[in-house]
Amino acid sequence: MHSLRPRLSNPVRFSFKFCKNCTRQLSQQAQGPLETENDWTDFQQTRTSLKTLMDAMSQYGSTQTSQWSLRDSLHRPTKDATLSALLASGAHFGHASSRMNPNFLPYAYGTRAGITLIDLDHTLPLLRRAAKVVRAVAANDGQIVFIGTRADIRPVVQKAAQRLGTQGFHVGDRWLPGTLTNKWQMFGHETVRSKRIVPDLVILLNPIQNMNAIQECALSNVPTIAIVDSNVDPRIVMYPIPANDESPRTAEIIAGVLSIAGREGIAIREAETQRMRMAVDSAWEDFNKMQVMQDARQPQRSDAEAFDY
Amino acid sequence: MNILRSQAFSVLRRPLCRRLATTRPFVPPVQAQLVFHDTLFAPGAKELDDNTVDALEAETNEREFEDDDFDANNFQDKAHPDSPNFYTGRSSYYDNIVELQNAISRTRGTLQRLHLLPLPEFAWKCLKPMPTVWKTPEEMTTDFETAMTISRYRKVTALLNELNEYLRIATTAGYADVADRIGSIISIFESGKKEAFLARGVRKPVQLDQYGRSYTFGKRKTSAARVWMIPVKPLSHESGSDVNVEEAFGLSDKPRRPPVNVTVSTILINNLPIAEYFPQPVDRERIVRPLKIAGVLGKYNVFTIVRGGGTTGQSGAVAHGIAKGIFAHEPETGAILKRAKLLRRDPRMVERKKTGLAKARKRYTWVKR
Repeated sequence: MHSLRPRLSNPVRFSFKFCKNCTRQLSQQAQGPLETENDWTDFQQTRTSLKTLMDAMSQYGSTQTSQWSLRDSLHRPTKDATLSALLASGAHFGHASSRMNPNFLPYAYGTRAGITLIDLDHTLPLLRRAAKVVRAVAANDGQIVFIGTRADIRPVVQKAAQRLGTQGFHVGDRWLPGTLTNKWQMFGHETVRSKRIVPDLVILLNPIQNMNAIQECALSNVPTIAIVDSNVDPRIVMYPIPANDESPRTAEIIAGVLSIAGREGIAIREAETQRMRMAVDSAWEDFNKMQVMQDARQPQRSDAEAFDY
Repeated sequence: MNILRSQAFSVLRRPLCRRLATTRPFVPPVQAQLVFHDTLFAPGAKELDDNTVDALEAETNEREFEDDDFDANNFQDKAHPDSPNFYTGRSSYYDNIVELQNAISRTRGTLQRLHLLPLPEFAWKCLKPMPTVWKTPEEMTTDFETAMTISRYRKVTALLNELNEYLRIATTAGYADVADRIGSIISIFESGKKEAFLARGVRKPVQLDQYGRSYTFGKRKTSAARVWMIPVKPLSHESGSDVNVEEAFGLSDKPRRPPVNVTVSTILINNLPIAEYFPQPVDRERIVRPLKIAGVLGKYNVFTIVRGGGTTGQSGAVAHGIAKGIFAHEPETGAILKRAKLLRRDPRMVERKKTGLAKARKRYTWVKR
């Protein structure tokens, strides 16, 4: 009967012993203090060997057939938002129905459990429209400011602004009132004269806490995009995106879509500039060639001969 | 390029709306530019007829753009602001915060790859202590070009403390290049008075002079004593008489303890011997106590000059000075002298008399009526 029993192959058995040794070493080390640099090196080596062992052993475990992995929506967001992604992030959850702004009604799907549900079938095209605006503004060397003044969406606006390079800006803490309307006092005469202060587009991820910014943009004629929740009047901004403003994952998705659109706009501008430059260069080359050919055909006359006083 | 520019114009500058109907104080963003016609912004609904609209549009198009709200001046010629934090109004502060956060995440990644993070509890205790003193908020104000409020200072110091922890790990584990890089960032924010601050409360070690004397101070109540201590020269081995007394009495085979050579020392106070200066045995006991506790009773000659106060104060001051002198000559006695509280300057002073009381604590006799 023993011969019929399946036996483990040798490498695996050896690895189990090694594993036991490692764990014993680790538990022993847990008692002893690390005094010299050699102790630290041994400590590191034990950890490295355990990690190598686990990486080697993982191939003997079960293989997962599904390739789904949780995306890091902050560092690698998607170019287009899908309905399922928005649902998964909770973008459809509005605020309490008693607080619903009557002007939000076109974007409301209904009520459940005392809260207003947001119709994501409206959200998606409005998001795409906002992305088009961002792309166009970025393609025209426009300055785009992302405003997200909560601690959980601070890294979102920072990353979004990073994607736009020199054209992207962000405000992660409080928007100081008077940034646009009192710019001479705020930034000083030199800066206002030499730099472009008024942005070309402002994107707000929590508009309720930044009504000052919205007011100033209106007074300074700056177009605005914002995530509007069910307790907000969507008409306060030019391009509202009805979604849940309290969910950081929704903010990541929306800011990701908009910033990637902006990055595309910059790339379009770069490509256009490159194309123009190449066209000009080739035209200049052709002109030079023509000039050379002309000179070769006709002998050049000196100026003294040309003008007869 | 021109097509794109005209598209931008169409996005950013549209023709006037036909109706501007609003009774609310907050006006939806006006999509026309610059023409602040009084009639348009009057409260109440207003329908503009075609003629007015055309006239206004013509006016807008004709007008030369002199304001810098939206015009060619603002559009292309000026540069973008440098910092992505420009619109916070405190760009250098937020730039520095972002730099520190980036440094932290880079270092964390490096240490994780070296398997030094996350560190178990026992390893944290083995790290070299690296106390640091950060710049004061006033000093940081000049660095960050912003008024450093308490909350901003706390944010910055929290990040710096985390970086300091990584520096400790890197130096203890022996990665000098990583430690140097972190150190260069941290040194920007370290106070110049760091050494002075860390040396606070640390006693300066007393140096023995060319003859091996220690010079220490002692204080008690209002007395102050200056104490010089020098070790007594050890007794040379006695040349020994020809007669060995033990052998003569037949006691040499008995097991005996080895003989202890006890030297004789002198204690002079204001150039007077101790017995003369302090006739009370209490004071003499107090002075000799540190020598007894340290076990060096006959080892040092003591010369003292003491001023101020009375007998108790002066004897306490001399004792304090002697204890410090013993510690200077033999640092191993530090533990036992500390346990006996002899190295501590006794803080008890005469309490002042208070008004309404006869003395510091004594109350006048209570009278019922």
